[in-house]
Amino acid sequence: MASATRYRSRYIAGQLLAWWPAILLGLMVLMAILAPLIAPLDPNRQDLLGRLKLPGYEGRGGTYWLGTDELGRDVLSRMIYGSRVSITVAVLSVLLSGIVGVTVGMLAGYLRGWPETILMRLVDIFLSIPAILLAIITVAVLGPSFFNVILVLALTRWPRYARVAYGQTMSIARRPFVTLARSMGCSVPRALLLHILPNIISPILVVATLEFGLMVLFEAGLSFLGLGVQPPTASWGAMLSTGRNYVTSAWWIATFPGLALFLLVLSANLIGDRVSDIIGKGR
Amino acid sequence: MKSTLKLLLASVALTTFAMPAFAKDMTVDLSGEPSSLDPQVQWNPDSYYVYRNIFDNLVTRDNEGKIVPQIATSWEQVSDTEMLMTLRDDVIFHDGQKMTAEDVVFSIKRITDPEFGSPQLGQFDQISDAEAVDEVTVKLTTDGPYPALLAQLVKLSVVPKHVVEEVGDDAFNAAPVGSGPYKFTDWNRGVSVTLTRNDDYWGDAGSIETAVFRAVPDAATRLADLQAGAADLVVGLDSDAATQLAGQDDVQLLSAPTERVAYLGMNLDKPPFNDPELRKAASMAIDTVGITEGLLGAGEVSVAQLASPAHFGYAEGIAPWEFDPEAAAEIVSAKADVAATPATFATAPVFDQRIVQALQQMLNDVGFNVSISVTDMPTYLDIVRSDPADNAELSFGRWSCACQDADGIAYPLLHSGSNWSRVNDPKLDELLDTARGSLDTQVRQDAYNQVHQIVRDNYYTLPMYQAAVLYGAASDLTFTPTANESLFLNRMTWSE
Amino acid sequence: MASFLLNRLFQALVTAFGVITLVFFIQRLTGDPTALLLPETATQKDFEAMRQTLGFDRPMIEQYLSFLGDMIRFDLGRSFIQNAPVSEILASRFPQTLQLAGGALLVAFAIGLPVGVIMALTRGRAISRWIMGLVLACQSMPTFWSGIMMILVFGVWLKWLPPSGTGSLAHLVMPSIALGLLSLATYARITRSAVVDELGRDYIRSARARGVRTPRLVRKHLLRNSAIPVISITALEISQLLAGAVIVETVFAWPGLGQLTVQSIASRDFAVVQAVVLLGAWVTILANLTADILYSLVDPRVRLGNQ
Repeated sequence: MASATRYRSRYIAGQLLAWWPAILLGLMVLMAILAPLIAPLDPNRQDLLGRLKLPGYEGRGGTYWLGTDELGRDVLSRMIYGSRVSITVAVLSVLLSGIVGVTVGMLAGYLRGWPETILMRLVDIFLSIPAILLAIITVAVLGPSFFNVILVLALTRWPRYARVAYGQTMSIARRPFVTLARSMGCSVPRALLLHILPNIISPILVVATLEFGLMVLFEAGLSFLGLGVQPPTASWGAMLSTGRNYVTSAWWIATFPGLALFLLVLSANLIGDRVSDIIGKGR
Repeated sequence: MKSTLKLLLASVALTTFAMPAFAKDMTVDLSGEPSSLDPQVQWNPDSYYVYRNIFDNLVTRDNEGKIVPQIATSWEQVSDTEMLMTLRDDVIFHDGQKMTAEDVVFSIKRITDPEFGSPQLGQFDQISDAEAVDEVTVKLTTDGPYPALLAQLVKLSVVPKHVVEEVGDDAFNAAPVGSGPYKFTDWNRGVSVTLTRNDDYWGDAGSIETAVFRAVPDAATRLADLQAGAADLVVGLDSDAATQLAGQDDVQLLSAPTERVAYLGMNLDKPPFNDPELRKAASMAIDTVGITEGLLGAGEVSVAQLASPAHFGYAEGIAPWEFDPEAAAEIVSAKADVAATPATFATAPVFDQRIVQALQQMLNDVGFNVSISVTDMPTYLDIVRSDPADNAELSFGRWSCACQDADGIAYPLLHSGSNWSRVNDPKLDELLDTARGSLDTQVRQDAYNQVHQIVRDNYYTLPMYQAAVLYGAASDLTFTPTANESLFLNRMTWSE
Repeated sequence: MASFLLNRLFQALVTAFGVITLVFFIQRLTGDPTALLLPETATQKDFEAMRQTLGFDRPMIEQYLSFLGDMIRFDLGRSFIQNAPVSEILASRFPQTLQLAGGALLVAFAIGLPVGVIMALTRGRAISRWIMGLVLACQSMPTFWSGIMMILVFGVWLKWLPPSGTGSLAHLVMPSIALGLLSLATYARITRSAVVDELGRDYIRSARARGVRTPRLVRKHLLRNSAIPVISITALEISQLLAGAVIVETVFAWPGLGQLTVQSIASRDFAVVQAVVLLGAWVTILANLTADILYSLVDPRVRLGNQ
């Protein structure tokens, strides 16, 4: 009896250990949702007399546990709020690019003929246009905004999903269960949604989990190039790209958001790796 | 492994330092590659940092900012529209040919020829004619009286007629020939431009033998280059870089006030800033001292006019802005419905985002509703130049005309005929035209005094401070930065 | 084979045409560079004069047709920001990009491949998971961050390597690593799964049963038979490397196409942007084509034309 309990608790501990990335990711999502409740100070509250102060600084607003940034704002509160931007941008851009890409890919792979030619050439064209070009043009034409950051990421990433979905759809579109459904009067959208999508979803999920981490990094890269979310909104990428100018004088500005960003991407990557292993075994 | 390498590096360093001081080469990190080495094409810092060393100008400014002879030894205003300039007769171009009055005339005609399409045309198009009176005398004719002529001629580089005509504009840009203290040696596209000292220079060619100007876009990398000793002089640093360099004694930070005036531009045709009361509130919301001392601290000087002490036309006695956020908040709350109109603050990554964010916060603290919109430079320029209706409510600028004359800032920003201007005030237009069209310095100064007072009284725009420029340099480099932001190599020396 | 190549080239031509047309029009949606070229004091008259000089006053369709005409004559046009023919600018930048992409591929290959094999051989054991975690950690940091940290540590603090710029092999080390780390995990992962697939095959089992030792097995059989996925990923990676180089090149002041792209887009230097994009498109197309041809050489089971 006692040994069974011990066995079970050891099992649970093992599982916890194996799935720590998922737990960490969950905690970060929780932090993003609860940001207004747990952030000790207003993330945008500046104090020009309290700039670049060490962690633990007692300032006008209270205690700055992780120090202040170049405008005297609380690094901890900005980090907590920053999780919202980094995570939301990644989630929404994965969703948007995934939906667009998979739709295009499935249509091309299922319909073949001229829709295939047009759609897949479109995919090639988009793959050939540098992401930075799309980013600058989107901002120039539509103006800078939170949603446009997501749009930029989706515009540059959807062709990857399209390729995967296209290949997978082609390989199963001529299987009997699909042709049978069609001959029984099932419409194209219905066939795609009910018969094809469930059969190609696994490899797409693998791509999506791997893309998630990449999107977090891309958002950071856009911030570095001055094309990210608008200041003073905090995002981990924006904090890191400012903080890198203060590495030797105020290390805390970059270190904490940098660590958070690193852990977020790493857990996403580890989960992606895990998922692709599991799905790979299943096939 | 590490110690061997360090030893090796140390010995290399030793041999470098052991050489006589004058032989030490110089590496300068710029933020970008020069757009052109032809001095009559582009006028932007990364270009003129380099080509101003290759070419001589008709006149120049000394380290104190006074206009002094260079190619022209003396000049005389013979009528309201004509100026006679006497030239040196001992100037030799780098290809060995002597410079004549013909070269000067050619240079002026080239840059003022609309067909040539120089981006600098607007600075020189008041010059309607140039002719060589004799070998060493040139007569310049202007459209009307043009008080800023000499200030503009500081930027007029003399190019050799025979070379430009022989090789053509493209080849001249790729391998320029000038008469300045430095000769063009090599342009490795995208990487660097190398200059070598012109030992036959008519004046003081300085002590640096070779200078390499590199393009290093990332400010953090430029700073690292300086700290690692890979660069001797770096441009484009902000004041927080100083704290990065603290405790390192082989590097120094050099700064000087420039002729740039930083201002908060407001759209006078749209709410909320079409209301003078609310503009007054904005002026009281902004803590210019907090910005210049708390945030910048590189020697910026607070000003409440669109001119700095480095300009002709700076008015003494213009009252500074009062910083009074409580009073500002009161005005705003009395007009809360208008003041709460969403206002866009247009900006671009090249502007110091610390200042932009600080300004936004100060305005919002008293009750405005300002949001920042960062776009890339061309988009930003399109926005701030567009019609008032499409224009952003706010913008931050650091304006320079590179002429150190109030005309160069006040006219484009305040005259209703300029497409940068948001102001439409006939009285201002009249004063600005008077100041532009007179050669009498007293008349001009009086006009500018009134201009600055009118702007101050009506809160047309909020000038904040005279910007400073910061350079990081090896500590054994002696260099006095000047207001016109030029890097004249022959004015730099290595100590020891 | 010939008809396959012709067909592929035709499709490539269509793609390139589409790319160039799209880029031509969308970048013109963003205004023109006149404001950047003129000084702050320029008047409306100066603006119109400059527009005319640059040809932006002509109708869009006319500009497009004359651009297509130039393309057909292999004339890439002129950069009005850099005042030089675009072909000259590309010629100076392309070798730098090749060096950097080559260096990065070498890093990714030299580390990713053996790591992938080791992970496959130690599959299921904790060590494999740790190695994977380490590999993934390498690509979980933004390059603008890892780049500056490398510069500070190896360039400023230890002074082992030049912090930025070009000119020697030493200059190539840090940018190559920074860029190569991004592809490393991809290589490790692909190699691992390819080797794992091969390990399950009968010939390996029987070779093992015969007592062939692991290193020999890896050398003789596994690497060759796992090559296809590695080759195909290389084709994708090359285009990724060209794109990913933007930030690495900016941080390390590396004068390649990535920096050129950013600067030309930011300065609306249309002709350069078009040429860079076109070049990138061709590199992608040729890389994919080369990969297809290599497949058939490595593995005769793959027949060209059945794609």
